[in-house]
Amino acid sequence: MRRRFTRLYGLTTIGVRRIRARLTTNTSGGLLAAVAAVTVTIALMTTVSGIALGLASQSAIQSEDVDYWVVPDATTPTAIAASVQGPKLGNVHAASTRLTRDDRIEYATPVETSLIRVTNGGGEGAYVLALGIVVPETPRTVAGLSTRGLTPGDPHYANGTYSGPWTGEAVISGATAEVLDVQRAVTLDVETGDTARTLTVRRVAENDVSTGVGPVPVVIVHLSELQTISGATSGDAASQLLVSTTDPSVQSDIEAVYPGTTVVTRTGLSQTASLSSLPLAIALAAFVTSVVVGVLFVATMMGLELLSDRETLAVFTALGYSARSVTVLVLVETLSITVVGGVLGVSLGVLGIEAVNLVSGQYLGVAPALVDPRLLGYGVAIALGIGIVAALYPVWLYRRVPALEVLSR
Amino acid sequence: MANRSTTHTAASAPDAPVVRCDEVTRTYTRGTDPVLKRRQQPTVTALDAVSLAIDSGEFVGVSGPSGSGKSTLLYLLAGLDVPTRGTVAIHGIDTKALSERERAALRLEHVGIVFQRFHLVPSLSARGNVALPLVEHGVRKRERHRRADTLLDRVGLGDRATHAPGELSGGEQQRVAIARALVTEPALLIADEPTGELDTETGARVLDVVSKATDACAVVLASHDDQALARTDRVIRLRDGRIVDDA
Repeated sequence: MRRRFTRLYGLTTIGVRRIRARLTTNTSGGLLAAVAAVTVTIALMTTVSGIALGLASQSAIQSEDVDYWVVPDATTPTAIAASVQGPKLGNVHAASTRLTRDDRIEYATPVETSLIRVTNGGGEGAYVLALGIVVPETPRTVAGLSTRGLTPGDPHYANGTYSGPWTGEAVISGATAEVLDVQRAVTLDVETGDTARTLTVRRVAENDVSTGVGPVPVVIVHLSELQTISGATSGDAASQLLVSTTDPSVQSDIEAVYPGTTVVTRTGLSQTASLSSLPLAIALAAFVTSVVVGVLFVATMMGLELLSDRETLAVFTALGYSARSVTVLVLVETLSITVVGGVLGVSLGVLGIEAVNLVSGQYLGVAPALVDPRLLGYGVAIALGIGIVAALYPVWLYRRVPALEVLSR
Repeated sequence: MANRSTTHTAASAPDAPVVRCDEVTRTYTRGTDPVLKRRQQPTVTALDAVSLAIDSGEFVGVSGPSGSGKSTLLYLLAGLDVPTRGTVAIHGIDTKALSERERAALRLEHVGIVFQRFHLVPSLSARGNVALPLVEHGVRKRERHRRADTLLDRVGLGDRATHAPGELSGGEQQRVAIARALVTEPALLIADEPTGELDTETGARVLDVVSKATDACAVVLASHDDQALARTDRVIRLRDGRIVDDA
């Protein structure tokens, strides 16, 4: 066993040295072209995957503290961010109160989402995505924004009479502050059908809610106040219900609250989000393209290199190297090429992501791509995969070239 | 050197020849003829019913004009090729009965080969080249280096161990190639025109190294050079694939 390992280690050293010498001292155009090909394909794949990852991670409103989403059946989980229309849940205050009484549940709140138009003191107006919630006692994160600064509970609801005090409190996202050019303590006018309503900015959150097209202007307010603004008081309606718990046994109880609705778990949501539509398609297309192009190019180049180097391989055979050992040598050499290309490609790909974000941010105001450390490992792993598949061709060529014939020339 | 394959553990008698050929014939198919099919394709006979035996410590020369079958005989003796008819036995092991893999192991174990054009690996140092067969043997790095350095000392290149082949003269490269062939302590050293690309003086120095190898093994030297053949104990002369003289 040790002997086999020593042999493998020795073959690997020889293979790596041969490639290093051919890439540096006795510069081989074919090998440099193979490295360049892998570099370019892995760089493109990394950049495109970064964009796909960015799109996937921003496709739904998520909250770190939330484990279950209760949504009407007609609403797909990935459409939560934009589900300002469509079916609603009814009697949401009562339902969330009932759920909150359960010891296993840490926090439950209905969430109403609505597009509202607000104007600043200077008369500048903008549409923002308003999220209405029942504010928890301890500040939590909803849709990426902390509820800190809002009065706990939902005072205006007043047991369904909607006659409680109007707090007008709002936490706004950075994008909202930027769009409306407002700071903390500023009053915003809300355009409603009849009664004039105002909101007071209690806090500007450091975070932003992002989607594939960039940061979305968001404002978090008390649920009943948003219901009043959007006219959803009738039936106490909201778009969804968020439930935070550490006890998975609670899922059936949540499902019982609203028969005919869908309860989506955190895992389910992230899977759905990441497996859905465009980002996945983009990532898959990048993967397939880079693997196919990489394999074809590396296989061709390594095949040509092998043919020009067959005399040396024939000498290895003459010295007593088994076909298996020479195959390992060819495999190591091909993998060395693709790993070098993979590392260069990943580095170039990260630069590509930064460039895409820079250019996109400058001209479109959005930074769609994401650098994730896993992308680095992913790129190098794909490069290794390309090497393993591409090595089949030079190995096949080697097996077809008889050592005796080469040595006799 | 420990045996790597159980196939070669059959020990031969102490006085048995290192290599033995019995009525060896080697024919090659000349081209392909789709009409005549494989069995009826024209063939050329490179060796015709050759029989010989070479003992340990013997220094045997092989001579003959181009096309006489010298290289074919060397490849058969080295286990690189197998006869069409007859048997070639290295240490009593019939090479034809072995698989490709087993023959590779047999060469690694018992045969050292020196080529006319050196065939060193350019990306490795002289020491790395000499140690090449030991890698396949699974010998650890430190031991590989120690044995390679010993061999380089023996061929007078102890101070050139870290030099790349490109930094060595033709004679030095050939001596590195001889050291590589001897590093596994083979029973049989095959040298195919080892002085063919060297000047007379350098060639003589290389032949000194080759002839010293007979202390431990049998040496078969193919050459056109009469001075080289004069150093051998016995010269096998070939013509048209047949032995015309063995003295």
